[in-house]
Amino acid sequence: MAYLVVFAPLIASIIAGLFQKQIGDRAAQIITTGATISAALASVYLLIDVAYGGNARTIDIVSWMAVGQFEVNWAIRLDTLSAVMLVVITSVSSLVHVYSWGYMADDPHRARFFSYLSLFTFAMLALVTADNFIQMFFGWEGVGLASYLLIGFYYKKESANAAAIKAFVTNRVGDFGFALGIMATFAVFGTVKFDEVFAQIPEMSGEILTVFGMNFQALELIAFLLFIGAMGKSAQFFLHVWLPDAMEGPTPVSALIHAATMVTAGVFLVCRCFPIYEVAPDTSAFITFIGAVTALFAATVGLAQNDIKRVIAYSTCSQLGYMFFAAGLGLYSAAMFHLFTHAFFKALLFLGAGSVIHGLHHEQDMRNMGGIYKLLPATWILMIIGTLALTGVGLPIVLGGLGFAGFYSKDMIIEEAFAMGTEGVTFGMFAFWIGITAAALTSFYSWRLIFMTFHGKFRGKEETLKHAHESPPVMLVPLVLLAIGALFAGGVFKSDFVAKGAQSFWGESLPAGAYSDYKYGDYGSGDYTSGDSYGEEDHADESHSEEAGYGDEAHGDDHSERHPTWVLVLPVVVSAGGFILAWYFYMANPHLPGRIAATNGPLLRFLQNKWYFDEIYDFIFVRGTRALGDLFWKVGDERIIDGGGPNGIAATVMAGARRLARMQSGFVYHYAFVMLIGVVVLALVLIAGAGV
Amino acid sequence: MLQAAAFYIFSAIAVFSALMVVFAKNPVRAVLFLILAFFSAAGLFILLGAEFLAMILVIVYVGAVAVLFLFVVMMLDIDFAELKAGFAENAIVGGAVASVLALVLVLSGFIWVDANSAQANLAAPTPEGVSNVAALGALIYDRYVLFFQLAGLVLLVAMIGAIVLTLRHRDGVKRQDMHKQVNRKREDSVEIVDVEPGEGIG
Amino acid sequence: MTASMLLADLTLMTPELMLAVGALALLLVGVYWKSELGGARIVMRLTIGLLVLAAGAAIWLAQGDGGDTFNGAFNVDAFSLYAKTAVFFAAAVALLLAFKFLEAEKLAKFEYPVLIALASLGMAIMVSADDLITLYMGLELQSLSLYILAAFNRDSLRSSEAGLKYFVLGALSSGLLLYGASLIYGFSGTTDFDGIAIAAAEAGNNVGLLFGLVFLVSGLAFKISAAPFHMWTPDVYEGAPTPVAAFFATAPKLAAMALLARVLTEPFGAMVDQWQQVIIVLAILSMAVGSFGALMQTNIKRLMGYSSIGNVGYALVGLSSGTAIGVWAVLLYFTLYIIGVAGAFAVILSMRKAEGMVERIDDLAGLSKTRPALAWAMTALMFSIGGMPFLVGFFGKFFVFYAAASAGLVWLVVVAVLFSTVSIAYYLRVVKVIWFDEPTGEFLPAPAGVAFVSRATGLATVLLLPFMIALITLVVNAGGGLGG
Repeated sequence: MAYLVVFAPLIASIIAGLFQKQIGDRAAQIITTGATISAALASVYLLIDVAYGGNARTIDIVSWMAVGQFEVNWAIRLDTLSAVMLVVITSVSSLVHVYSWGYMADDPHRARFFSYLSLFTFAMLALVTADNFIQMFFGWEGVGLASYLLIGFYYKKESANAAAIKAFVTNRVGDFGFALGIMATFAVFGTVKFDEVFAQIPEMSGEILTVFGMNFQALELIAFLLFIGAMGKSAQFFLHVWLPDAMEGPTPVSALIHAATMVTAGVFLVCRCFPIYEVAPDTSAFITFIGAVTALFAATVGLAQNDIKRVIAYSTCSQLGYMFFAAGLGLYSAAMFHLFTHAFFKALLFLGAGSVIHGLHHEQDMRNMGGIYKLLPATWILMIIGTLALTGVGLPIVLGGLGFAGFYSKDMIIEEAFAMGTEGVTFGMFAFWIGITAAALTSFYSWRLIFMTFHGKFRGKEETLKHAHESPPVMLVPLVLLAIGALFAGGVFKSDFVAKGAQSFWGESLPAGAYSDYKYGDYGSGDYTSGDSYGEEDHADESHSEEAGYGDEAHGDDHSERHPTWVLVLPVVVSAGGFILAWYFYMANPHLPGRIAATNGPLLRFLQNKWYFDEIYDFIFVRGTRALGDLFWKVGDERIIDGGGPNGIAATVMAGARRLARMQSGFVYHYAFVMLIGVVVLALVLIAGAGV
Repeated sequence: MLQAAAFYIFSAIAVFSALMVVFAKNPVRAVLFLILAFFSAAGLFILLGAEFLAMILVIVYVGAVAVLFLFVVMMLDIDFAELKAGFAENAIVGGAVASVLALVLVLSGFIWVDANSAQANLAAPTPEGVSNVAALGALIYDRYVLFFQLAGLVLLVAMIGAIVLTLRHRDGVKRQDMHKQVNRKREDSVEIVDVEPGEGIG
Repeated sequence: MTASMLLADLTLMTPELMLAVGALALLLVGVYWKSELGGARIVMRLTIGLLVLAAGAAIWLAQGDGGDTFNGAFNVDAFSLYAKTAVFFAAAVALLLAFKFLEAEKLAKFEYPVLIALASLGMAIMVSADDLITLYMGLELQSLSLYILAAFNRDSLRSSEAGLKYFVLGALSSGLLLYGASLIYGFSGTTDFDGIAIAAAEAGNNVGLLFGLVFLVSGLAFKISAAPFHMWTPDVYEGAPTPVAAFFATAPKLAAMALLARVLTEPFGAMVDQWQQVIIVLAILSMAVGSFGALMQTNIKRLMGYSSIGNVGYALVGLSSGTAIGVWAVLLYFTLYIIGVAGAFAVILSMRKAEGMVERIDDLAGLSKTRPALAWAMTALMFSIGGMPFLVGFFGKFFVFYAAASAGLVWLVVVAVLFSTVSIAYYLRVVKVIWFDEPTGEFLPAPAGVAFVSRATGLATVLLLPFMIALITLVVNAGGGLGG
């Protein structure tokens, strides 16, 4: 079963990729889609088996390499963490496959596209099922490659090529950190297998690693380096620049790779390595900080974007920020929960946007849309569901909370951040307030997107409007399925992911989190048994007692001992505020944004230009690199290396040749003279050698 | 004792005159010093009991080669002062090389040791009752016949070279050729022409 | 010396006697032939025949046991017979190349082939030398012939200058050699190689003997044009008539190298440690001069001159090992080198335009378009001489390096490979000019002999590959007697 999940997409990809000429587009579509769907069904079975049946296991497939101490197996590690990822990946992937039947119907290179999609799916599966860092790195690079191929799918488009390269290069920075992290891991632990590494953590926690004469806390260093990798892949602040540009790829790709799966690999990495992060508080704080900043930053930029896909892209970036600061605060299961729900509603939003784009003949600029809800009613409704899920609409307090998927996961992260902040975890409060602000901004730009796209007057060309049409069923069916996920994924799975079922659900793959005892939980049971074997016991106990203390203090709160009511309500309130503001700007006074845009204020420009990140990077890295490259090239390479090396040797050779030519004067007595000198030299050499 | 004195005198003169060949300003004097050097060497040969070689040296080198040199130098009118202008610029390096070379050679002379087998290998001195010339002849035409023949070939090559490189058959130069004159036939030079009256020889 | 002994001695000298008597006879034929040109032609043909016959005689002798003759002054063994055969064939090829060239340049004289025959005789004696006097006689016989040949175009200033320079410097080198010989004689009391070997074995670090060796090697180094005794080479190659340069580059090099190998391994075999350093110095200097000197050349004959200096350097690398492997590797190296150089000179001799012979490298421009066959031949030859892998020249280089490496001189091999890399540059330049430059004019059709040699040698660089094993077996047998 596990083999089917991992390798079916690979085989399908190979068949579709290498034999597309023979089998044709149609067959390629059928094969890849069929393979992915069967993988999806199988992974649902696996999730049930692993998470509820408790059959966590690792299947060793083959020994990959064994060099001395260094042993790497190709394996499928099945625990709840990877099983959840399997479900997310295969289900979104199969829906995207299906959706692409419609979206890519006119594309002449469909077979190639489907082959890439399946290849990506395989790489992602290899990543999440890895039982060691090396296989994970393989998958990591594999998804990077697939992402590169898919972003640059329209290879004739220059911007697509540039975006693909940008994504690849930016990821390279992160991957470099990841690779260094793996090396450091091996250096410290002498193994790259997760189990063996984690088992050694308690004894290694004080380990010092000396690099270039500097002493590092070994585990902090490893954690930090691994996080660098995660930052690149998950487009966190500083390394986020590739993600918006990656929207050059076909929209289904954006939904699959740049919303639901690949970008969450960083979150997955941090969760997978949580035993390391638990004992690396400084790095965890750093993660929290970066995650929070990303959440805010991406949300602000999202406010001012006009490309429908870019808005969603920044939204993704922002939501990834939420996941990271959750992970940084130690709320691993919450981060995974948000990852899970986010996959559904973000894929829904992307595919919805794709539906709009498809309907409007590849128009992506929201300024050229408007009022098309009548033309694309299904898309409209589905997009609204997605937006509601994203903004986390729901009713707190009532029945222990009731709402869309995002309500459970995102609001929970925000609330838990508050809890952590009150406990004094570094950047906890910071993350909470940023979470609140970002939530407001998220609501604003999400509704702005809906209003600008579907409401008001159509602002594009008449021609476009005339041909605007609803998408075919083959595209709408996946949307509907995703919408169901966006509606119910949060409510249905909350207890397993983060509440009372969490302990048994995650097993040993993730700490269930302290909140699983308290929130939405059975207060009295208190059956929190610290079954984690990776040394997070102390930490858990510690937080346990602190929480208890806080709980006493905050006693009287009718809903939760951990959170004051205002904390529970605030996210929903600010989201509503965002909605109202958006309505005011884009529905009630549709001319207002235009006027604001006309004033061209510095803040707007700042946001529109994405905080000038691209410009800064262009200045520092691109031009800086070029200058550095020039320096290395012209000074280092040409003058020093070439000057001393090849060119220098060549010059010396030529100079020697000229000197020789001068010596070849043509005068017999010069020649005779040289001969005599030769005799003397030889005589001296002989005497010296003989030691007479 | 007398032999030793003679050896040193001849040697000193040989070395001195060899140096003067190089350093003499006048080329004619240089050649004359060369002749003196040859004579001294001949004297050394006589001291060694090689009268024949001594005579050969005097006759061939002094009588032929050196005198030829003398003629050439006198006829060519070489401006040695001009040739020696370049002498100074290479003097230092040249002097250094020469002195090092001289040093190692002199050094080797001072610490000279014969091989143990050398004495046994040395050819016997001229046997009693046989003249130097006869002894040499016996060797050259018997034991060393190969070398003698080869030397002949070398000289042959030298002759061929001299002819090839210098002999010119100039056109337009009238030479007497006895053979041709004697072998001349009447038919070669006389033509009987029947001249028709009034037409002349066309 | 009894008559039967003399007869036995003379039998072993069959090739030399044939050449000596033949040369004299041919001289008479040339002198008494009616027309000068006709005489030159017939003597030329007869000399080629004579050389081939002499080579045949050498091969015939190689079937026998060989032996010492003339009281140990002349040694007929597998080594000398192999060298002789190669020398005679090389000389024959050189004559073949000269055939039409001399007529076209109005140099067709019957003395030319006779001198080549006498020079070959000198070389034959050199390689068989088992006595310092034999050595010197052979050397002088060869050298004197070569001096004359270099100046053969006596109306050309360059040719006369080349001959004169060669002569003067050659005289100096002969002087050095004689000085060395006399020191050696003074030390050992004999000129016989066997006697010297006995004396040298007990000598250790005797200064007199060491200096004798240095001077002797210096004199021989001049003949093989090893740096720093190489200065005459480029000037003479450029100045001498091209077929003469072709001859210079082939047979005399092999003969002198063979002589050097014999001198170093037989009389001085016990002094490997001492002369090894001298040979290494010579090798490095030669490789350096050969590699760097050639880079600046525009005249292809000068280029070949420097190339020969460099190649002597590589051969010396092999010889410096002082082992039997070194000796046969040198033989192999020069055999293959001669093939390459003969071909290269054949190509140079094909460089005749309507206005006369041309010698600049640039004149080869676009040869690939105008004369593809010639271009292929030259490319293969250049690569082979340069020692590019999988042409025969590579094996020559490989085995001399192998010899040095097996004697523990790995650093020297590294140096040699570096120089070899530099030297590839100028071979490549010739190839580049041939293939990538625009043609500047077309060459006239080459004479049949020249065309045959250029094609045959060009093909040989590839076609000999399957026969490498046989060739190596041959040189191993030939060189086996020498060296430690």
